[in-house]
Amino acid sequence: MNEVIDFFRSDWDAMTSTDWTGFWLLLVIAAIMVVIYVVTLRPSNRDKFEQYRDFVNHEQDRVWDRESNNERSK
Amino acid sequence: MSGTRPDEQEYHFDVVKWFAVAAVIYLVVGALVGDFIAWELAFPALNFDNQYLSFGRIRPLHTNAVIFAFGGCTLFATGYYIVQRTCQVPLWSTKMAWFTFWGWNAVIVGAVITFPLGLTQGKEYAELIWPLDILIAVVWLAFMGNFVMTIVNRNVSHIYVANWFFLGMMVMITYLHVVNSLAIPVDLTHSYSIYSGVHDAMIQWWWGHNAVGFFLTAGFLGIMYYFVPKQADRPVFSYRLSVLHFWALMFGYVWLGAHHLQYTALPDWAGSLGAAVSLAMIIPSWGGAINGVMTLSGAWNKLRDDYVLRFLIVSLAFYAMSTFEGPVMSIKTVNALSHYTDWTIGHVHSGALGWVAMVSIGAIYHIVTKLWHREMYSVSLVNTHFWIHTIGTIIYICAMWVSGIMQGLMWRATDEYGNLVYTFAESVSAMHPYYVLRSVGGVLVLIGALMMLYNVVQTIRGAKSPVAQAARV
Repeated sequence: MNEVIDFFRSDWDAMTSTDWTGFWLLLVIAAIMVVIYVVTLRPSNRDKFEQYRDFVNHEQDRVWDRESNNERSK
Repeated sequence: MSGTRPDEQEYHFDVVKWFAVAAVIYLVVGALVGDFIAWELAFPALNFDNQYLSFGRIRPLHTNAVIFAFGGCTLFATGYYIVQRTCQVPLWSTKMAWFTFWGWNAVIVGAVITFPLGLTQGKEYAELIWPLDILIAVVWLAFMGNFVMTIVNRNVSHIYVANWFFLGMMVMITYLHVVNSLAIPVDLTHSYSIYSGVHDAMIQWWWGHNAVGFFLTAGFLGIMYYFVPKQADRPVFSYRLSVLHFWALMFGYVWLGAHHLQYTALPDWAGSLGAAVSLAMIIPSWGGAINGVMTLSGAWNKLRDDYVLRFLIVSLAFYAMSTFEGPVMSIKTVNALSHYTDWTIGHVHSGALGWVAMVSIGAIYHIVTKLWHREMYSVSLVNTHFWIHTIGTIIYICAMWVSGIMQGLMWRATDEYGNLVYTFAESVSAMHPYYVLRSVGGVLVLIGALMMLYNVVQTIRGAKSPVAQAARV
Protein backbone atom coordinates (compact mmCIF):
# COMPACT_ATOMS: atom_id res chain seq x y z
CA MET A 1 0.00 0.00 0.00
CA ASN A 2 2.79 2.41 -0.80
CA GLU A 3 1.21 3.86 -3.94
CA VAL A 4 -1.94 5.94 -3.77
CA ILE A 5 -3.38 3.93 -6.64
CA ASP A 6 -3.18 0.82 -4.47
CA PHE A 7 -5.94 2.19 -2.30
CA PHE A 8 -8.30 2.02 -5.28
CA ARG A 9 -7.38 -1.49 -6.42
CA SER A 10 -9.80 -4.25 -5.54
CA ASP A 11 -10.63 -7.80 -6.51
CA TRP A 12 -13.90 -6.86 -8.16
CA ASP A 13 -14.67 -10.46 -9.13
CA ALA A 14 -14.64 -11.44 -5.48
CA MET A 15 -17.35 -8.91 -4.59
CA THR A 16 -20.45 -10.58 -3.17
CA SER A 17 -23.97 -9.21 -3.55
CA THR A 18 -23.66 -7.84 -0.01
CA ASP A 19 -20.46 -6.03 -0.97
CA TRP A 20 -22.12 -4.50 -4.02
CA THR A 21 -25.16 -3.44 -1.97
CA GLY A 22 -22.90 -1.69 0.53
CA PHE A 23 -20.83 -0.16 -2.24
CA TRP A 24 -23.81 1.38 -4.01
CA LEU A 25 -25.40 2.44 -0.75
CA LEU A 26 -22.23 4.31 0.15
CA LEU A 27 -22.13 6.05 -3.23
CA VAL A 28 -25.82 7.00 -3.08
CA ILE A 29 -25.47 8.41 0.43
CA ALA A 30 -22.35 10.34 -0.57
CA ALA A 31 -24.22 11.79 -3.55
CA ILE A 32 -27.19 12.77 -1.39
CA MET A 33 -24.82 14.47 1.06
CA VAL A 34 -23.29 16.50 -1.77
CA VAL A 35 -26.78 17.58 -2.87
CA ILE A 36 -27.70 18.57 0.69
CA TYR A 37 -24.50 20.60 1.08
CA VAL A 38 -25.15 22.41 -2.22
CA VAL A 39 -28.81 23.14 -1.49
CA THR A 40 -28.17 24.25 2.07
CA LEU A 41 -25.16 26.45 1.41
CA ARG A 42 -26.43 28.02 -1.80
CA PRO A 43 -26.54 31.78 -1.17
CA SER A 44 -29.97 32.13 -2.75
CA ASN A 45 -31.37 29.69 -0.17
CA ARG A 46 -29.94 31.55 2.78
CA ASP A 47 -33.09 33.37 3.86
CA LYS A 48 -35.22 30.31 3.27
CA PHE A 49 -33.34 28.52 6.05
CA GLU A 50 -32.24 31.35 8.28
CA GLN A 51 -35.77 32.67 8.81
CA TYR A 52 -36.09 29.92 11.44
CA ARG A 53 -33.03 30.93 13.46
CA ASP A 54 -35.15 32.49 16.18
CA PHE A 55 -37.99 30.03 15.96
CA VAL A 56 -37.99 28.99 19.62
CA ASN A 57 -37.92 32.55 20.92
CA HIS A 58 -40.76 33.74 18.75
CA GLU A 59 -43.31 31.12 19.70
CA GLN A 60 -45.49 33.68 21.42
CA ASP A 61 -45.08 36.25 18.63
CA ARG A 62 -46.47 33.87 16.08
CA VAL A 63 -49.38 32.96 18.30
CA TRP A 64 -50.21 36.61 18.86
CA ASP A 65 -49.88 37.35 15.14
CA ARG A 66 -52.22 34.54 14.24
CA GLU A 67 -54.74 35.47 16.91
CA SER A 68 -54.76 39.09 15.87
CA ASN A 69 -55.19 38.04 12.24
CA ASN A 70 -58.12 35.86 13.27
CA GLU A 71 -59.61 38.77 15.19
CA ARG A 72 -59.23 41.03 12.17
CA SER A 73 -60.83 38.50 9.85
CA LYS A 74 -63.95 38.26 12.01
CA MET B 1 -51.74 20.76 10.92
CA SER B 2 -54.98 22.34 11.86
CA GLY B 3 -56.80 23.61 14.91
CA THR B 4 -56.02 26.34 17.36
CA ARG B 5 -53.10 26.69 19.69
CA PRO B 6 -53.86 25.48 23.19
CA ASP B 7 -53.37 27.60 26.24
CA GLU B 8 -50.39 26.77 28.39
CA GLN B 9 -52.66 24.75 30.67
CA GLU B 10 -53.80 22.54 27.80
CA TYR B 11 -50.33 21.24 27.03
CA HIS B 12 -49.69 17.86 28.57
CA PHE B 13 -46.83 18.78 30.83
CA ASP B 14 -47.56 16.47 33.77
CA VAL B 15 -45.77 13.59 32.12
CA VAL B 16 -42.87 15.92 31.35
CA LYS B 17 -42.64 16.82 35.04
CA TRP B 18 -42.60 13.18 36.12
CA PHE B 19 -39.96 12.24 33.60
CA ALA B 20 -37.83 15.26 34.63
CA VAL B 21 -37.97 14.37 38.32
CA ALA B 22 -37.30 10.71 37.53
CA ALA B 23 -34.25 11.76 35.50
CA VAL B 24 -32.79 13.63 38.49
CA ILE B 25 -33.38 10.65 40.78
CA TYR B 26 -31.75 8.30 38.28
CA LEU B 27 -28.79 10.65 37.93
CA VAL B 28 -28.18 10.22 41.65
CA VAL B 29 -28.67 6.44 41.47
CA GLY B 30 -26.47 6.04 38.38
CA ALA B 31 -23.69 8.17 39.87
CA LEU B 32 -23.92 6.32 43.20
CA VAL B 33 -23.64 2.88 41.60
CA GLY B 34 -20.90 4.09 39.24
CA ASP B 35 -18.84 5.56 42.03
CA PHE B 36 -19.29 2.45 44.17
CA ILE B 37 -17.86 0.21 41.46
CA ALA B 38 -15.08 2.74 40.86
CA TRP B 39 -14.05 2.32 44.51
CA GLU B 40 -14.40 -1.45 44.06
CA LEU B 41 -11.81 -1.35 41.30
CA ALA B 42 -9.44 0.57 43.56
CA PHE B 43 -10.18 -1.55 46.62
CA PRO B 44 -11.60 -4.93 45.50
CA ALA B 45 -12.44 -5.92 49.08
CA LEU B 46 -15.38 -3.55 48.81
CA ASN B 47 -17.36 -6.22 46.99
CA PHE B 48 -17.53 -7.95 50.40
CA ASP B 49 -17.29 -11.33 48.63
CA ASN B 50 -20.94 -10.83 47.77
CA GLN B 51 -21.86 -11.98 44.29
CA TYR B 52 -24.64 -9.41 44.03
CA LEU B 53 -22.16 -6.59 44.60
CA SER B 54 -19.44 -7.87 42.28
CA PHE B 55 -18.13 -5.50 39.62
CA GLY B 56 -19.26 -7.70 36.73
CA ARG B 57 -22.88 -7.62 37.86
CA ILE B 58 -23.08 -4.03 39.06
CA ARG B 59 -21.26 -2.41 36.16
CA PRO B 60 -24.11 -2.95 33.65
CA LEU B 61 -26.47 -1.63 36.32
CA HIS B 62 -24.43 1.60 36.34
CA THR B 63 -24.28 1.93 32.55
CA ASN B 64 -27.97 1.18 32.13
CA ALA B 65 -28.89 3.53 34.98
CA VAL B 66 -27.03 6.48 33.52
CA ILE B 67 -27.73 5.83 29.83
CA PHE B 68 -31.26 4.49 29.77
CA ALA B 69 -32.68 5.58 33.12
CA PHE B 70 -31.17 9.08 33.46
CA GLY B 71 -30.52 9.72 29.76
CA GLY B 72 -33.74 8.05 28.67
CA CYS B 73 -35.96 9.93 31.12
CA THR B 74 -34.27 13.18 30.10
CA LEU B 75 -34.99 12.42 26.45
CA PHE B 76 -38.63 11.56 27.17
CA ALA B 77 -39.09 14.71 29.27
CA THR B 78 -37.43 17.07 26.81
CA GLY B 79 -38.88 15.32 23.76
CA TYR B 80 -42.44 15.66 25.01
CA TYR B 81 -41.75 19.24 26.10
CA ILE B 82 -40.07 20.42 22.92
CA VAL B 83 -42.51 18.82 20.50
CA GLN B 84 -45.47 20.48 22.21
CA ARG B 85 -43.83 23.88 22.44
CA THR B 86 -42.46 23.96 18.90
CA CYS B 87 -45.57 22.46 17.30
CA GLN B 88 -47.90 24.49 19.53
CA VAL B 89 -50.20 21.58 20.06
CA PRO B 90 -50.76 19.18 22.98
CA LEU B 91 -49.42 15.66 22.81
CA TRP B 92 -51.40 13.45 20.47
CA SER B 93 -52.11 10.92 23.23
CA THR B 94 -51.75 11.54 26.95
CA LYS B 95 -52.48 7.89 27.72
CA MET B 96 -49.71 6.77 25.44
CA ALA B 97 -47.33 9.23 27.08
CA TRP B 98 -48.16 7.83 30.52
CA PHE B 99 -47.73 4.32 29.13
CA THR B 100 -44.20 5.27 28.11
CA PHE B 101 -43.52 6.63 31.60
CA TRP B 102 -44.61 3.51 33.44
CA GLY B 103 -43.27 1.17 30.75
CA TRP B 104 -39.83 2.78 30.75
CA ASN B 105 -39.69 2.68 34.53
CA ALA B 106 -40.74 -0.98 34.46
CA VAL B 107 -37.71 -1.64 32.23
CA ILE B 108 -35.49 0.14 34.77
CA VAL B 109 -36.94 -1.87 37.66
CA GLY B 110 -36.32 -4.99 35.58
CA ALA B 111 -32.68 -3.96 35.16
CA VAL B 112 -32.30 -3.37 38.91
CA ILE B 113 -33.58 -6.89 39.59
CA THR B 114 -31.89 -8.86 36.82
CA PHE B 115 -28.36 -7.44 36.72
CA PRO B 116 -27.39 -8.19 40.34
CA LEU B 117 -28.79 -11.70 39.78
CA GLY B 118 -26.38 -12.10 36.88
CA LEU B 119 -29.12 -12.31 34.25
CA THR B 120 -27.67 -10.72 31.14
CA GLN B 121 -27.24 -11.25 27.41
CA GLY B 122 -23.61 -10.16 27.71
CA LYS B 123 -23.91 -7.56 24.93
CA GLU B 124 -22.56 -4.17 25.94
CA TYR B 125 -25.26 -1.51 26.41
CA ALA B 126 -27.76 -4.23 25.44
CA GLU B 127 -27.40 -6.50 28.44
CA LEU B 128 -31.08 -6.73 29.33
CA ILE B 129 -32.75 -10.11 28.90
CA TRP B 130 -35.06 -10.69 25.97
CA PRO B 131 -38.46 -10.01 27.63
CA LEU B 132 -37.17 -6.58 28.70
CA ASP B 133 -35.83 -6.02 25.18
CA ILE B 134 -39.35 -6.52 23.86
CA LEU B 135 -40.77 -4.13 26.44
CA ILE B 136 -38.17 -1.52 25.44
CA ALA B 137 -39.20 -1.87 21.79
CA VAL B 138 -42.91 -1.48 22.61
CA VAL B 139 -42.37 1.57 24.83
CA TRP B 140 -40.01 3.15 22.33
CA LEU B 141 -42.48 2.68 19.48
CA ALA B 142 -45.20 4.27 21.62
CA PHE B 143 -42.87 7.23 22.22
CA MET B 144 -42.14 7.55 18.52
CA GLY B 145 -45.79 7.12 17.49
CA ASN B 146 -46.93 9.79 19.92
CA PHE B 147 -44.14 12.15 18.85
CA VAL B 148 -44.83 11.69 15.14
CA MET B 149 -48.59 12.15 15.53
CA THR B 150 -48.05 15.30 17.59
CA ILE B 151 -45.96 16.68 14.75
CA VAL B 152 -48.62 15.64 12.23
CA ASN B 153 -51.20 17.62 14.23
CA ARG B 154 -48.95 20.68 14.65
CA ASN B 155 -50.27 24.22 14.47
CA VAL B 156 -47.25 25.67 12.68
CA SER B 157 -45.99 24.82 9.23
CA HIS B 158 -42.31 24.48 10.09
CA ILE B 159 -40.88 21.45 11.87
CA TYR B 160 -38.12 22.86 14.05
CA VAL B 161 -34.69 21.24 13.74
CA ALA B 162 -34.75 19.91 17.33
CA ASN B 163 -37.69 17.71 16.35
CA TRP B 164 -35.71 16.37 13.40
CA PHE B 165 -32.93 15.30 15.73
CA PHE B 166 -35.44 13.57 18.00
CA LEU B 167 -37.08 11.86 15.02
CA GLY B 168 -33.72 10.69 13.70
CA MET B 169 -32.92 9.23 17.10
CA MET B 170 -36.26 7.44 17.33
CA VAL B 171 -36.11 5.87 13.89
CA MET B 172 -32.50 4.76 14.21
CA ILE B 173 -32.74 3.46 17.77
CA THR B 174 -35.78 1.36 16.83
CA TYR B 175 -33.86 -0.15 13.94
CA LEU B 176 -30.64 -0.65 15.91
CA HIS B 177 -32.28 -2.05 19.03
CA VAL B 178 -34.45 -4.55 17.19
CA VAL B 179 -31.73 -5.85 14.89
CA ASN B 180 -29.10 -6.09 17.64
CA SER B 181 -31.49 -7.82 20.04
CA LEU B 182 -32.68 -10.56 17.67
CA ALA B 183 -32.27 -13.75 19.67
CA ILE B 184 -33.72 -17.20 20.14
CA PRO B 185 -35.16 -17.55 23.66
CA VAL B 186 -34.28 -20.68 25.60
CA ASP B 187 -36.36 -19.85 28.65
CA LEU B 188 -37.76 -16.71 30.26
CA THR B 189 -34.38 -15.34 31.22
CA HIS B 190 -31.97 -16.81 28.70
CA SER B 191 -31.53 -16.57 24.96
CA TYR B 192 -28.96 -16.95 22.23
CA SER B 193 -28.16 -14.21 19.74
CA ILE B 194 -29.04 -15.18 16.19
CA TYR B 195 -25.60 -13.94 15.15
CA SER B 196 -22.33 -15.68 15.79
CA GLY B 197 -18.61 -15.00 15.61
CA VAL B 198 -17.44 -11.84 13.93
CA HIS B 199 -20.96 -11.07 12.67
CA ASP B 200 -22.17 -10.94 16.25
CA ALA B 201 -19.27 -8.64 17.14
CA MET B 202 -19.98 -6.35 14.19
CA ILE B 203 -23.72 -6.14 14.92
CA GLN B 204 -22.94 -5.53 18.60
CA TRP B 205 -20.66 -2.59 17.86
CA TRP B 206 -22.86 -1.29 15.10
CA TRP B 207 -25.43 -1.00 17.90
CA GLY B 208 -22.89 -0.02 20.57
CA HIS B 209 -21.48 2.98 18.79
CA ASN B 210 -24.85 4.08 17.51
CA ALA B 211 -26.32 3.93 21.00
CA VAL B 212 -23.77 6.70 21.54
CA GLY B 213 -24.39 8.30 18.16
CA PHE B 214 -28.16 8.37 18.16
CA PHE B 215 -29.36 7.87 21.74
CA LEU B 216 -26.65 9.92 23.45
CA THR B 217 -25.89 12.38 20.66
CA ALA B 218 -28.76 12.98 18.23
CA GLY B 219 -31.41 13.24 20.94
CA PHE B 220 -29.25 15.48 23.09
CA LEU B 221 -28.46 17.69 20.11
CA GLY B 222 -32.21 18.11 19.81
CA ILE B 223 -32.10 19.30 23.41
CA MET B 224 -29.22 21.63 22.61
CA TYR B 225 -30.94 23.21 19.60
CA TYR B 226 -34.00 24.03 21.69
CA PHE B 227 -32.62 24.95 25.10
CA VAL B 228 -29.46 26.91 24.17
CA PRO B 229 -31.27 29.57 22.09
CA LYS B 230 -34.18 29.52 24.53
CA GLN B 231 -32.07 29.96 27.66
CA ALA B 232 -29.79 32.50 25.96
CA ASP B 233 -32.77 34.29 24.37
CA ARG B 234 -30.73 34.44 21.19
CA PRO B 235 -31.31 33.09 17.68
CA VAL B 236 -29.37 29.98 16.66
CA PHE B 237 -26.06 31.09 15.12
CA SER B 238 -26.81 29.39 11.79
CA TYR B 239 -29.93 27.43 10.93
CA ARG B 240 -28.30 26.17 7.74
CA LEU B 241 -25.50 24.70 9.78
CA SER B 242 -28.02 22.91 11.98
CA VAL B 243 -29.61 21.32 8.89
CA LEU B 244 -26.22 20.16 7.63
CA HIS B 245 -25.36 18.95 11.11
CA PHE B 246 -28.51 16.83 11.16
CA TRP B 247 -28.10 15.14 7.79
CA ALA B 248 -24.36 14.56 8.15
CA LEU B 249 -24.99 12.95 11.52
CA MET B 250 -27.78 10.74 10.18
CA PHE B 251 -25.80 9.55 7.17
CA GLY B 252 -22.40 9.32 8.79
CA TYR B 253 -22.81 7.83 12.23
CA VAL B 254 -24.05 4.40 11.17
CA TRP B 255 -20.69 3.56 9.57
CA LEU B 256 -18.55 4.09 12.65
CA GLY B 257 -19.12 0.92 14.68
CA ALA B 258 -16.37 -1.03 12.95
CA HIS B 259 -13.70 1.16 14.53
CA HIS B 260 -14.38 -0.67 17.82
CA LEU B 261 -13.04 -3.85 16.24
CA GLN B 262 -9.62 -2.84 14.93
CA TYR B 263 -7.09 -5.69 15.03
CA THR B 264 -9.76 -8.36 15.41
CA ALA B 265 -11.26 -10.96 13.07
CA LEU B 266 -13.20 -8.18 11.34
CA PRO B 267 -11.92 -7.57 7.79
CA ASP B 268 -9.25 -4.88 7.75
CA TRP B 269 -11.12 -2.73 5.23
CA ALA B 270 -14.17 -2.53 7.50
CA GLY B 271 -12.07 -1.11 10.34
CA SER B 272 -10.44 1.35 7.95
CA LEU B 273 -13.84 2.47 6.67
CA GLY B 274 -15.03 2.94 10.26
CA ALA B 275 -11.96 5.06 11.04
CA ALA B 276 -12.23 7.11 7.84
CA VAL B 277 -15.88 7.99 8.42
CA SER B 278 -15.09 8.70 12.09
CA LEU B 279 -12.55 11.31 11.01
CA ALA B 280 -15.02 12.76 8.50
CA MET B 281 -17.56 13.12 11.31
CA ILE B 282 -15.36 15.67 13.08
CA ILE B 283 -16.61 18.26 10.57
CA PRO B 284 -20.36 18.08 11.32
CA SER B 285 -19.76 17.49 15.02
CA TRP B 286 -17.60 20.57 15.37
CA GLY B 287 -19.95 22.48 13.11
CA GLY B 288 -22.77 21.68 15.52
CA ALA B 289 -20.73 22.50 18.61
CA ILE B 290 -19.62 25.82 17.12
CA ASN B 291 -23.20 26.53 16.09
CA GLY B 292 -24.33 26.08 19.68
CA VAL B 293 -21.53 28.06 21.27
CA MET B 294 -21.70 30.90 18.72
CA THR B 295 -25.40 31.28 19.49
CA LEU B 296 -24.08 33.36 22.38
CA SER B 297 -22.23 35.61 19.95
CA GLY B 298 -22.73 39.18 21.10
CA ALA B 299 -24.09 38.10 24.45
CA TRP B 300 -21.20 36.39 26.17
CA ASN B 301 -21.95 38.34 29.31
CA LYS B 302 -24.89 36.03 29.89
CA LEU B 303 -22.43 33.34 30.93
CA ARG B 304 -21.44 35.44 33.92
CA ASP B 305 -24.72 35.18 35.77
CA ASP B 306 -26.75 32.47 34.06
CA TYR B 307 -25.56 29.19 35.52
CA VAL B 308 -28.03 27.11 33.54
CA LEU B 309 -26.53 28.54 30.37
CA ARG B 310 -23.08 27.64 31.68
CA PHE B 311 -24.09 24.00 31.90
CA LEU B 312 -25.35 24.11 28.31
CA ILE B 313 -22.34 25.88 26.83
CA VAL B 314 -19.69 23.91 28.71
CA SER B 315 -21.45 20.73 27.60
CA LEU B 316 -20.78 21.82 24.02
CA ALA B 317 -17.09 22.24 24.79
CA PHE B 318 -17.03 18.64 26.04
CA TYR B 319 -19.04 17.57 22.96
CA ALA B 320 -16.42 19.13 20.70
CA MET B 321 -13.60 17.59 22.69
CA SER B 322 -14.99 14.06 22.76
CA THR B 323 -16.02 14.13 19.10
CA PHE B 324 -12.43 14.98 18.25
CA GLU B 325 -10.91 12.45 20.62
CA GLY B 326 -13.11 9.58 19.40
CA PRO B 327 -12.04 9.78 15.74
CA VAL B 328 -8.39 10.13 16.78
CA MET B 329 -8.73 6.95 18.87
CA SER B 330 -10.27 5.14 15.90
CA ILE B 331 -7.10 5.59 13.81
CA LYS B 332 -5.33 2.24 13.80
CA THR B 333 -2.00 3.59 15.03
CA VAL B 334 -3.61 5.29 18.02
CA ASN B 335 -6.04 2.41 18.53
CA ALA B 336 -3.12 0.00 18.88
CA LEU B 337 -2.20 1.90 22.03
CA SER B 338 -5.61 2.94 23.34
CA HIS B 339 -7.80 -0.10 22.79
CA TYR B 340 -8.75 -2.12 25.88
CA THR B 341 -7.18 0.54 28.13
CA ASP B 342 -8.70 3.08 30.50
CA TRP B 343 -8.26 5.75 27.84
CA THR B 344 -11.50 4.44 26.36
CA ILE B 345 -13.21 4.81 29.75
CA GLY B 346 -11.92 8.39 29.98
CA HIS B 347 -13.19 9.13 26.48
CA VAL B 348 -16.63 7.71 27.20
CA HIS B 349 -16.93 9.72 30.40
CA SER B 350 -15.84 12.99 28.79
CA GLY B 351 -18.84 12.44 26.52
CA ALA B 352 -21.15 11.09 29.21
CA LEU B 353 -20.35 13.39 32.15
CA GLY B 354 -19.23 16.38 30.12
CA TRP B 355 -21.61 16.43 27.18
CA VAL B 356 -24.71 14.32 27.94
CA ALA B 357 -25.00 14.96 31.67
CA MET B 358 -24.30 18.69 31.50
CA VAL B 359 -26.68 19.43 28.63
CA SER B 360 -29.31 17.32 30.41
CA ILE B 361 -28.79 19.06 33.73
CA GLY B 362 -29.07 22.47 32.06
CA ALA B 363 -32.26 21.43 30.25
CA ILE B 364 -33.82 20.01 33.41
CA TYR B 365 -33.08 23.15 35.44
CA HIS B 366 -34.72 25.13 32.63
CA ILE B 367 -37.76 22.85 32.50
CA VAL B 368 -38.25 22.92 36.27
CA THR B 369 -38.35 26.72 36.34
CA LYS B 370 -40.75 26.79 33.39
CA LEU B 371 -43.15 24.06 34.45
CA TRP B 372 -43.40 24.94 38.12
CA HIS B 373 -43.47 28.66 37.27
CA ARG B 374 -40.81 29.64 39.79
CA GLU B 375 -37.10 30.27 40.04
CA MET B 376 -34.78 27.60 41.38
CA TYR B 377 -34.79 27.35 45.18
CA SER B 378 -31.09 28.17 45.42
CA VAL B 379 -28.95 29.85 42.81
CA SER B 380 -25.80 29.21 44.78
CA LEU B 381 -26.54 25.48 44.77
CA VAL B 382 -26.92 25.55 40.97
CA ASN B 383 -23.63 27.42 40.78
CA THR B 384 -21.91 25.00 43.16
CA HIS B 385 -23.35 22.09 41.20
CA PHE B 386 -21.84 23.48 38.01
CA TRP B 387 -18.36 23.81 39.45
CA ILE B 388 -18.34 20.58 41.42
CA HIS B 389 -19.62 18.61 38.41
CA THR B 390 -17.09 20.22 36.08
CA ILE B 391 -14.15 19.64 38.44
CA GLY B 392 -15.27 16.06 39.15
CA THR B 393 -15.52 15.32 35.45
CA ILE B 394 -12.09 16.77 34.71
CA ILE B 395 -10.47 14.81 37.55
CA TYR B 396 -12.16 11.64 36.29
CA ILE B 397 -11.16 11.93 32.65
CA CYS B 398 -7.61 13.14 33.35
CA ALA B 399 -7.05 10.18 35.69
CA MET B 400 -8.28 7.80 33.01
CA TRP B 401 -6.19 9.41 30.28
CA VAL B 402 -2.99 9.01 32.28
CA SER B 403 -3.95 5.55 33.45
CA GLY B 404 -4.97 4.41 29.97
CA ILE B 405 -1.88 5.66 28.16
CA MET B 406 0.31 4.18 30.89
CA GLN B 407 -1.50 0.84 30.53
CA GLY B 408 -1.04 0.84 26.77
CA LEU B 409 2.66 1.65 27.07
CA MET B 410 3.24 -0.99 29.76
CA TRP B 411 1.45 -3.69 27.77
CA ARG B 412 3.48 -3.07 24.62
CA ALA B 413 6.88 -2.53 26.28
CA THR B 414 9.41 -5.18 25.27
CA ASP B 415 13.05 -5.66 26.10
CA GLU B 416 15.90 -6.15 23.65
CA TYR B 417 15.01 -9.84 23.32
CA GLY B 418 11.36 -9.15 22.55
CA ASN B 419 10.08 -10.25 25.95
CA LEU B 420 7.36 -8.28 27.70
CA VAL B 421 8.85 -5.94 30.28
CA TYR B 422 5.82 -5.90 32.56
CA THR B 423 3.40 -8.57 33.69
CA PHE B 424 -0.29 -7.80 33.47
CA ALA B 425 -0.50 -7.76 37.27
CA GLU B 426 2.18 -5.04 37.39
CA SER B 427 0.11 -2.88 35.05
CA VAL B 428 -2.94 -3.39 37.28
CA SER B 429 -0.93 -2.40 40.33
CA ALA B 430 0.33 0.74 38.57
CA MET B 431 -3.26 1.82 37.98
CA HIS B 432 -4.16 2.00 41.65
CA PRO B 433 -3.55 5.73 42.29
CA TYR B 434 -5.49 6.67 39.17
CA TYR B 435 -8.40 4.44 40.16
CA VAL B 436 -8.54 6.22 43.51
CA LEU B 437 -8.39 9.58 41.74
CA ARG B 438 -11.17 8.52 39.36
CA SER B 439 -13.31 7.52 42.34
CA VAL B 440 -12.74 10.92 43.95
CA GLY B 441 -13.91 12.59 40.72
CA GLY B 442 -16.98 10.35 40.86
CA VAL B 443 -17.71 11.42 44.43
CA LEU B 444 -17.76 15.06 43.31
CA VAL B 445 -20.19 14.25 40.49
CA LEU B 446 -22.37 12.33 42.96
CA ILE B 447 -22.39 15.22 45.45
CA GLY B 448 -23.39 17.56 42.63
CA ALA B 449 -26.25 15.24 41.64
CA LEU B 450 -27.47 15.13 45.26
CA MET B 451 -27.38 18.94 45.37
CA MET B 452 -29.46 19.05 42.21
CA LEU B 453 -32.02 16.62 43.62
CA TYR B 454 -32.32 18.65 46.81
CA ASN B 455 -32.61 21.91 44.86
CA VAL B 456 -35.23 20.52 42.48
CA VAL B 457 -37.31 19.03 45.33
CA GLN B 458 -37.18 22.29 47.26
CA THR B 459 -38.16 24.23 44.14
CA ILE B 460 -41.11 21.95 43.49
CA ARG B 461 -42.18 22.15 47.12
CA GLY B 462 -42.21 25.90 46.71
CA ALA B 463 -39.75 26.49 49.52
CA LYS B 464 -38.68 30.08 49.87
CA SER B 465 -35.50 30.72 48.01
CA PRO B 466 -32.60 32.40 49.81
CA VAL B 467 -31.65 34.09 46.55
CA ALA B 468 -33.58 34.07 43.29
CA GLN B 469 -32.58 34.21 39.64
CA ALA B 470 -30.97 30.92 38.74
CA ALA B 471 -32.66 30.45 35.45
CA ARG B 472 -34.46 33.05 33.52
CA VAL B 473 -37.86 32.34 31.99
